[in-house]
Amino acid sequence: MDAALPLRKARPAEIGACHHCGEALTPDAVRESNRAFCCHGCAAASTWIREAALGDYYNLRTSPAGRVQADAADFGAWDRDVVLAEHSRVVPGGREITVLTDAMRCAACAWLIDRALRRQAGVLDAGANAVTGRVVVAWDPQRVALSTLMQRLAALGYRPWLATGEAREQAQRRERRRWLLRLGVAGLGAIQAMMFAEALYLDTAQQMPVATRDFFRWITFLVSTPVVFFSGWPFLEGMWRELRGRRLGMDTLIAGSTLLAYFASFVETLRGGTHVWYDAAVMFVLLLLVARMFEQRARGIASAQIDALARARPALALRERHDGSVEQVPLGDIARDDVLRIAAGEAVPADGVLLDHAASFDEALITGESTPVRREAGEPALAGSICREASARLRVVRTGADTRLSQLTRLVEQAQSTRPQLARAAERVAGGFVVALLLCAVATFAWWHVHEPARALEVTLALLVVSCPCALSLAIPSALTTAHGALARIGVLGVREDALSALARVDRVVLDKTGTLSNGRPQLDSVATFEGMAPSAALSIAAALERGSMHPLAQAFAHVEDELIAHGVHAVAGSGIEGDVDGARWRLGRADFAGSRADDGALWLGDGTRAFARITVRETMRDDARDAIIALRDAGVAVELCSGDSVNAVANFARQVGIETFHARQTPEQKLARVRAAQSGGEVVAMVGDGLNDAPVLAGADVSLAMAEGAALAQRAADFVVTSPSLLRVPQAIVLARRTQRIVRQNLAWALGYNVLAIPLAAMGHVTPWIAALGMAGSSLLVTLNALRLGRRERNERRAA
Amino acid sequence: MSILLLLVPISLVLLGIAIGAFVWAVRRGQFDDLDTPAIDILRDDPLPAPRNDVSEEPRDAD
Repeated sequence: MDAALPLRKARPAEIGACHHCGEALTPDAVRESNRAFCCHGCAAASTWIREAALGDYYNLRTSPAGRVQADAADFGAWDRDVVLAEHSRVVPGGREITVLTDAMRCAACAWLIDRALRRQAGVLDAGANAVTGRVVVAWDPQRVALSTLMQRLAALGYRPWLATGEAREQAQRRERRRWLLRLGVAGLGAIQAMMFAEALYLDTAQQMPVATRDFFRWITFLVSTPVVFFSGWPFLEGMWRELRGRRLGMDTLIAGSTLLAYFASFVETLRGGTHVWYDAAVMFVLLLLVARMFEQRARGIASAQIDALARARPALALRERHDGSVEQVPLGDIARDDVLRIAAGEAVPADGVLLDHAASFDEALITGESTPVRREAGEPALAGSICREASARLRVVRTGADTRLSQLTRLVEQAQSTRPQLARAAERVAGGFVVALLLCAVATFAWWHVHEPARALEVTLALLVVSCPCALSLAIPSALTTAHGALARIGVLGVREDALSALARVDRVVLDKTGTLSNGRPQLDSVATFEGMAPSAALSIAAALERGSMHPLAQAFAHVEDELIAHGVHAVAGSGIEGDVDGARWRLGRADFAGSRADDGALWLGDGTRAFARITVRETMRDDARDAIIALRDAGVAVELCSGDSVNAVANFARQVGIETFHARQTPEQKLARVRAAQSGGEVVAMVGDGLNDAPVLAGADVSLAMAEGAALAQRAADFVVTSPSLLRVPQAIVLARRTQRIVRQNLAWALGYNVLAIPLAAMGHVTPWIAALGMAGSSLLVTLNALRLGRRERNERRAA
Repeated sequence: MSILLLLVPISLVLLGIAIGAFVWAVRRGQFDDLDTPAIDILRDDPLPAPRNDVSEEPRDAD
């Protein structure tokens, strides 16, 4: 009965992937010479790239481009002066603007954007950064309109969004550069200071004339001063903040030790004492600065890439004047009680109350709900939602930073900036450690002061330097940072840092079906025919009917080639579609509608009384879903499928991907209950979903991963966002998390062991400050290098793959 | 040891130059993007770079 065998073969893997974006081809693919494209947008982009002699892009890239959206947006509003004033700045010869785009996947994308923009007449300079997802364009407004350039970007598949204002972008850039400067000055200065200090250390027999020695000391003082005060400023500032807040933290210890070493050396230099410790001070600053830098970089990248707020801001708002006429104003000028007009398809610029008539809004960005919500007059409309169908008028209630959207964004930012629990615990330990250490130092100083006053200062300093728990405090952040960096490289963005340790302990993964295991595109599975009808004829009729409808299932029939045309097609809600093909009336849909049989979940073709064909449609599996399941099982993780779909569909799918445990017809509440049940059994549960209908489950699971096709803010509710289309990233992330856990443990053991050994030695006076500095630096370095292994091995694995 | 009086100032001057060069590079944005330039050098633009939207010389790279 299974008459449509050729269809079964029509698997994406065999048809091939889009030459441009790498998506599995649907049978209606666009073919040009020997290349195939998933859509006309991709085909046009690829043609342009080749004609512009930028075909090297396809050789250089390491991951496929994003799909080109055919419905190019209108960037006309971006040319207006008010928009340019807020979002761009004047540079010699023109203006410069920073825009965001989320489709840049690898450095080759940045290369392509650079080249493509520079080809345009009137572009002064263009720079794209694939890491932060930002494109900086300088152009001459006299010669080319900004909208033309943006259209070009969009046509290549990189839809631009306005960044959150030029001022903020500039501030972020300045901040990044200041950190780099601090690091550079610390590096260069510290190395020089070490050179001079080395000369002093090598004088073991004390033969150096006092004048030369003092000369060296003053030079070292000169070189280390900018390192301590310019490069070390973040620590000094941190100490000030901690002291004002009456608590002792890492910064106090770091800045305290540095200042002590620096000023003690200064005093010794002045009075011609036996030792100076400038080198300890500068090495200390340098190493800790490097560690801080690591931490900040990873965090910056993660938050820059999913900048949801930027997308929710329209370029301009339409404000009604008192006389009823309309003016365009920048968002900053909107005040409470203004009346705004929002055109269909535009984003709402501020929270407000709907006037006049009802309208429907797409609130996907805010609530994650993909279907538009209908709001009556007098009901609130939220900033960031998109007005559908008809235009709307609203009275502004909240603007700018007070809007719900801004609040949500702030919440997420807060969650992102809170340090992971693990790191916080280490910090608490370090805090107690600081107090104990200071007491210890005082005691040591007192003891030596009584017994051998000449060495008291030196021994105390050695104790402080050798025992500084910087290795302890580096142990966790350096590992977490490297792990997050490695994850980001394989396309898994950590939104909540805590999640990594939960991910490492996962022993059950619950997967959603639609959008997670499947890619959401329907595909024909089988055709069974009755009453002597040929399968091909049945498919032709079904295809003709579907072609006239906007039904999601229509995609499954799109490749059936024939000339049949359906007339008078109309949809019967909840049942199917009906129309005339070749002079006969056909119905396609549920069994009871098409052929007066009992509904069995399949698609039936009939004339209303007799059934002629039974067609089953299934979802296409993600290419590597099977491999991902196997990899998960290899990692010792139980896998389970939870879906809202019918039993048959879920069972079929589970068999295909190789999952034994599955649950069908699950509501979000039931899914959540399943997760809770597993949790109460002592299991750590990870949920993988697309972030829309799975939102409560994602929140309830110990750790959650959202596939990137979901809504932006719903993604932000998840712990990890998987931006790569491959499901294999999930087991990879789990393995990486486990390795991170192991490295953290190694680091902690080393750091603690080192301190326990070194402190008594130092207190007894067996350690000179420079050995102490060396030991401390070596220990920190070891911990950092150990953490860096996480990034390196991951890269090798990827290359081997 | 008087050679030190020459060498040490020279090293300080070199240090000053190094820091100056670094500051200049950071200000000019040389460190803003560390990934893209790496592949920039792999392929050159064809020299008569077309300034128009569509170039007249479709050169297939494959």
